Amino acid sequence: MSVFAAIVKKELRSVTKEKTIMIAIMIQLFIASFSSAILIGMLSFYDPDSIGLNARISLGVGIIGDADSPLIGFLRDRNARVVVFSSPEEAESAFKAGAIDTVIFVPEAMPGDSRGVVDTKLFLPASETQATLILMVLKGPMKRYENYLRERNGVHVRYTDIEGRPSTTYEFRYSVIIPILMFFPAFVAGSMVVDSISEELENHTLDTLWAAPVSLNVIFGAKIAAALVLAVVQCALWSMLLRLNRVPIQNLGLVLLLAALLAAIIAVGSALVAVYFKDRERSQFTYSLFLLLSAGMSYFFDASPITLMTRLATGDHYTGVANVAIYGILLLALLAAFFSTAEKLVAVPS
Amino acid sequence: MRSRFKGRSRPVVMLILAGSFVISYLAFRQGAVLSQGMYRVGVSPDGPDIWDGRFSTIILPRSTGRLMLDEKALDVYIDGDQVVHRDDDRSLYAAGALKLYLEKQELARIKDGYEIDRAFPLRIEVNHLPAPTGQGVSLSELVDALTSAAEPVGADSGVDQPLSDAPHTDFAVMEQIKEMESGGGRPGIEMEFTSDKEIIVPSLMSPPIPFAQVVIAFLYVLPVSFVSVFFTSSFMDEKIDRRITVLMSAPVTPFEIIAGKMLPYVSFSLVSVVIMTLVLRGNLLLAMAIFIPVILFIFSIYLMVPLVYRTFRDTTFISMLATTVITSYLVFPAMFSGVNDLSYMSPLTLAVKMYREEPFGLKEYVFSTASMYLVFALSMYVGTRILNEEYLLRFRPLYRKVAEAIYLVIDRSRPYLSITLLGLFLIPIVYMIQLVTLAVSLNLPMRYAVGVLLIIAVVVEEVAKSAGIAVLLENRAVSRTKDVVVLSFLSAAGFLVGEKLLLAVSVSVVSESVLSAALFSSGLLLIPLVAHFVSTATVCLLTSRFGVRVYPYAVLAGSIVHALYNLYVLGAIP
Repeated sequence: MSVFAAIVKKELRSVTKEKTIMIAIMIQLFIASFSSAILIGMLSFYDPDSIGLNARISLGVGIIGDADSPLIGFLRDRNARVVVFSSPEEAESAFKAGAIDTVIFVPEAMPGDSRGVVDTKLFLPASETQATLILMVLKGPMKRYENYLRERNGVHVRYTDIEGRPSTTYEFRYSVIIPILMFFPAFVAGSMVVDSISEELENHTLDTLWAAPVSLNVIFGAKIAAALVLAVVQCALWSMLLRLNRVPIQNLGLVLLLAALLAAIIAVGSALVAVYFKDRERSQFTYSLFLLLSAGMSYFFDASPITLMTRLATGDHYTGVANVAIYGILLLALLAAFFSTAEKLVAVPS
Repeated sequence: MRSRFKGRSRPVVMLILAGSFVISYLAFRQGAVLSQGMYRVGVSPDGPDIWDGRFSTIILPRSTGRLMLDEKALDVYIDGDQVVHRDDDRSLYAAGALKLYLEKQELARIKDGYEIDRAFPLRIEVNHLPAPTGQGVSLSELVDALTSAAEPVGADSGVDQPLSDAPHTDFAVMEQIKEMESGGGRPGIEMEFTSDKEIIVPSLMSPPIPFAQVVIAFLYVLPVSFVSVFFTSSFMDEKIDRRITVLMSAPVTPFEIIAGKMLPYVSFSLVSVVIMTLVLRGNLLLAMAIFIPVILFIFSIYLMVPLVYRTFRDTTFISMLATTVITSYLVFPAMFSGVNDLSYMSPLTLAVKMYREEPFGLKEYVFSTASMYLVFALSMYVGTRILNEEYLLRFRPLYRKVAEAIYLVIDRSRPYLSITLLGLFLIPIVYMIQLVTLAVSLNLPMRYAVGVLLIIAVVVEEVAKSAGIAVLLENRAVSRTKDVVVLSFLSAAGFLVGEKLLLAVSVSVVSESVLSAALFSSGLLLIPLVAHFVSTATVCLLTSRFGVRVYPYAVLAGSIVHALYNLYVLGAIP
């Protein structure tokens, strides 16, 4: 057992000495922050409510035409400064002076109009960025006005008064960010095992180790264990960082256990690949391909690790130890397969 | 020179390529189906059908449903026309998600159930008012613009507001319904055709994110990055087997070695671009024009990886880092095509435009691809300079390898010219680092983001300007104070010229973006020669006086000088 511990220590020391693990951590931080930067950017167009954009932006809206339009009330509910102008010229000079950001023309309601259609005109600044922003803020009040007109036409729209909270950020955090942060260390662990084993096989340094009274399984086991230790440390680190960022993780113990089990499964799988191919290039690619494929495939199954992680982290009522245990059984099966075949595989020339 | 796609690795290569295509296809088909089964929803027997992967639905009678909701076994319960939820986070978010989904369903129901005039009674004709040109936006205004949109716009030409009768707008509505049903090919808000009077319908308005097109553009990049990883591997194998030593002793130039090794992979990537374009029925010539610089860019990054690598594990991680950075640099801006002109910094935006059949000009093409070509040229040059046995096979810390590479790149017989050009050519790299920093810093609260951005921008610039001189000092190629001062001046001058060139290209494309205006005209990038010179000279003289050991502190000192100047320009210091 002391040999095992010694090899684990040696592996960990080489990783920390090369500072490669810092690169791995940087990548994860980078992916997480970049994807949330994209999310924030997209949200500002998709769902301005969810980042509180509307509350912070107070648009100056000029209205020409119908001074009693219900649209004015909807706009004021959305924190807009509404100014009613009696002529386009006044609106134009106010726009030029920068007093208002946009102008809407609403036609007077005509009593005899049977079509029930209201044709409005919206005047936006030519700047693309500003126009997009204004349109996004106007979208909410416009939609309310549209529904009001529908009611007037005898069309009832259901489910308009649900008081939920915008869920995009929530879904993104729990179904993208947390799985990425919890599974990426596993991916790194697998890659480390492939490198470590194939390096020894290619450079034939394993032969000398083998001559020592250490079984091959102990050496491989130690390499896998070292990668696993790093993965678990990273996962723990991420969960702490998430907590600091006020993203609570439910069932934290189970979440970390699942991450560790997956890291172990991937590490053992990658060891198997490395022992089979014996050269780094092919092992790394088979490994990455396999990983990509299984990640892609997992979307088709209800019980994919990603879904399971999301459900655990959000505190789903029906998900618990039993679901995680399946992966434990899978790991045991894989371990048995690996340790019974590894020595034979190494002996076979590729 | 030698193709790697021979012999035993061929089946694996084919398998991987096939795999990458399958994955891309799956990713494309699956779209954004994340968050599978995230919410548990109970529906009463008279409630609506829910067909959305995010919701696991069970039909439950009223009493059971409400009871289970209280026991937290359900997140939301739909009771006929009413949606019931609890007041905790999970339930509120579920209700929010359900609200968006049901809104869409209602729209479909109304469209089928009523005639178009009654179902979509509100039409908005969008007109654009001419904007003033050449507005100088400062950084403080950037903050204002991002926290409140109430930015004054002084229109200087006449506002044309013909309040005549609107044309019959049903046609536009039908079009948009069709688009919605086909899964949203073209976003509802089109900023490109300002001459056309477009009609929008609020409930059919979709966000201007060209998600589908970005995925298509990404499909092109995926096989290329796979192939380029092989290129890296092949270089590494040569290093491990020391075959590269044999190659280098043969009568071929380093350039021939690199180009020869790169050629098969580049042609393979080109083939994949051609196949992809033919399958997607795109414009072949245009696709080639867009993706050749992308391919060259990716390969130039991957050329650097094996040249500075030390061990296997290093290569894996550095490749991973490179893939992440490249992917985000290409994909992130493309998400905002049509929203912000800054999106042209990625050529994928051009591809998005191509698939949306929107025009773009030569100026935009140059803006997005020039940095790609430049990086390629730079990395080819660096590659040929550092391709020598001693450099390749020595194990040193990463920053030492970089320093050695810079030393090898500099032509010792003409230090003045080399340093000037180094300052000039490092601009694209500085530019990319700053843009990436910009994206990452958006995570922080706005106040800190600007601060962090300022500090990092300054430090990166100072390192870029002084690195060459520091390396010369270290190798005792320069020692006299006068030389150091002259070199600092030249480096600053080269850097400034690069900045000006970049500015000229950018301003012509990105004319109005607030973000870019702040980046380019507020002093983040553009500060006069004197300031550049003073800060660079500070770094170099300190390094010259106290040795290379103090270089990090010297950079810090120079950055402080630089930052103080920036703050002065911004008006933070009176």
